[in-house]
Amino acid sequence: MSAIETRALRKEFPGGVVAVEGIDLGVAEGLVFGFLGPNGAGKSTTVRMLTTLLRPTSGQASVAGLDVVADAHQVRRRIGVALQDAGLDGMATGRELLVLQARLHGLSGLAPARRAAELLELVGLTEAADRLVKTYSGGMKRRLDLASALVHGPRVLFLDEPTAGLDPASREAVWEEVQRLNRDDGITVFLTTQYLEEADRMAHQLAIIDQGRIVAEGSPHQLKRSVGADMVTVEVPADKVPAARRALAACEGVVDARAEGSGITLFVSDGTKAAAEAIRLLDRAGIGVSSVSVSAPTLDEVFLRATGFRLEGAGAGETGEAA
Amino acid sequence: MAGTVEARPRPAQLPPWDPFREALRATFFLGLREVRIVLRSAAVVIPNLLVPVLFFFVIVGSLENIAERSGVANYKAFQVPVVIMFAVTGGSAGMNLVVDIESGYFDKLLLTPANRLAILLGAMGADFVRVLVQGLFVVVIAMVAGTEIATGVPGAIVLAAIASLWGLAYSAIGFAIALKTGSPQATMNTWIFQIPLVFLSTAFAPLDALSGWLKAVATYNPVTYFFRGLRSLAMVGWDASEIGVALLTAGGFGAVTISIAFLALRGRAKG
Repeated sequence: MSAIETRALRKEFPGGVVAVEGIDLGVAEGLVFGFLGPNGAGKSTTVRMLTTLLRPTSGQASVAGLDVVADAHQVRRRIGVALQDAGLDGMATGRELLVLQARLHGLSGLAPARRAAELLELVGLTEAADRLVKTYSGGMKRRLDLASALVHGPRVLFLDEPTAGLDPASREAVWEEVQRLNRDDGITVFLTTQYLEEADRMAHQLAIIDQGRIVAEGSPHQLKRSVGADMVTVEVPADKVPAARRALAACEGVVDARAEGSGITLFVSDGTKAAAEAIRLLDRAGIGVSSVSVSAPTLDEVFLRATGFRLEGAGAGETGEAA
Repeated sequence: MAGTVEARPRPAQLPPWDPFREALRATFFLGLREVRIVLRSAAVVIPNLLVPVLFFFVIVGSLENIAERSGVANYKAFQVPVVIMFAVTGGSAGMNLVVDIESGYFDKLLLTPANRLAILLGAMGADFVRVLVQGLFVVVIAMVAGTEIATGVPGAIVLAAIASLWGLAYSAIGFAIALKTGSPQATMNTWIFQIPLVFLSTAFAPLDALSGWLKAVATYNPVTYFFRGLRSLAMVGWDASEIGVALLTAGGFGAVTISIAFLALRGRAKG
């Protein structure tokens, strides 16, 4: 059974703005599914529809085998959600927030307090458990938000840009915990991100969304292979780039070629062979080569090929926690 | 991340769900949360207590002699319902909801299986407690200042309780605006509805003493009839029919405002 499935899921807001344009997704149980796209691509709107916060304009979606519109209440019992902006009650302590969350999910008696204590320990917030949430740093709030999403033991966990704005150490902690939840507890994770590194590291399956449409889908490995087995990048004088491109057109096994500045990147099936041939072809054309490098494709190239542009700030940015 | 804990439920671990019981529990615990917020922001409540008391002394000091020459025997008691009205409609009902909406915590609540009505009912229940405390505070100050309440201390408590029902109905306007707009500015301006309701009524003089257009408007203003019921407690004695008038007026007003608030909740929760 798919943990998440959508068919022609579409959302049009008043004023005719179409945020999601009929997407089809299938996420098998137990996977980490990466949903990659730039700001405004439709990631958060998709998450809000899948988590019952937003009613689709048309199409269907099911989560944990339940329709998100017809069985919204049952869906909410089975999902955990940490949205992009950690939605927390600043006037509660971390412990109070988790206890209330547990109660609203139907836990009663001593269970909410016990569960809150377990989760506070899990996310390393036991020391700060009785402080008001408004005094927490950004990283602490993210961890508390993750804990609140886990309070009822969800089968499917939605994480909307869970590491945006976090410092590297906090980001690493979130990654490790999400991987552990998936590996040890079998939780299906739907992870939206605009960080390629995060998608590459975390996701078993990926979909790239751009302007409300899925433009590429597969495992990170499959997607990278789709742009070629290897990349050969040759640097030539800037004024020779057009001539170099013409010369390299004769190179065998080229899947695609792109020029950026004074570099030309060839997506090829055999990098070593293509590099030697490229040097020979350029030499024959009288074009001096500054450097040649052979590398494996990255999701950056996949994204570029799928959307026609690079993802801004594609690496996980270096941002500090706000205390 | 520090430890390890079981996060995946076995199917049997999903607790049974009784919709009615869970809705009551959610209302109770969300109401407790609202009370906790008020207690932790006590400074915000202080103006709601002091301003009505100031009004009481200023209005009584200014108008008591004139009113008593015009035949109002106990003007302090005549004014008690008005200041209680100011007390129970003071404050910014709905501001906590706006904060929740802005912070994203409202979405967090919508993502739980709790009945959505519980979010509003919990907030309204807590608001009833807040305005009741404010109303009782004002009536106590008025009595300490020498106001004689015809029905004594029990009547003063009943008076504050009935006024708090009006306060609850009035606060539903703030909740409706908060839910509809999500705007702190719009929600804070809820007090503006109080101006015509109170000032175009018998707040400062009996209906017979009013004249012209003001008398015509006051005749159709529900607040006039609400004051009539409260004043019977303050100035005359126990009169079930007059108390009934006050309760019916508050009930009718509340039926309208609370319905609007529920519609606003439905609109926001629908997505």
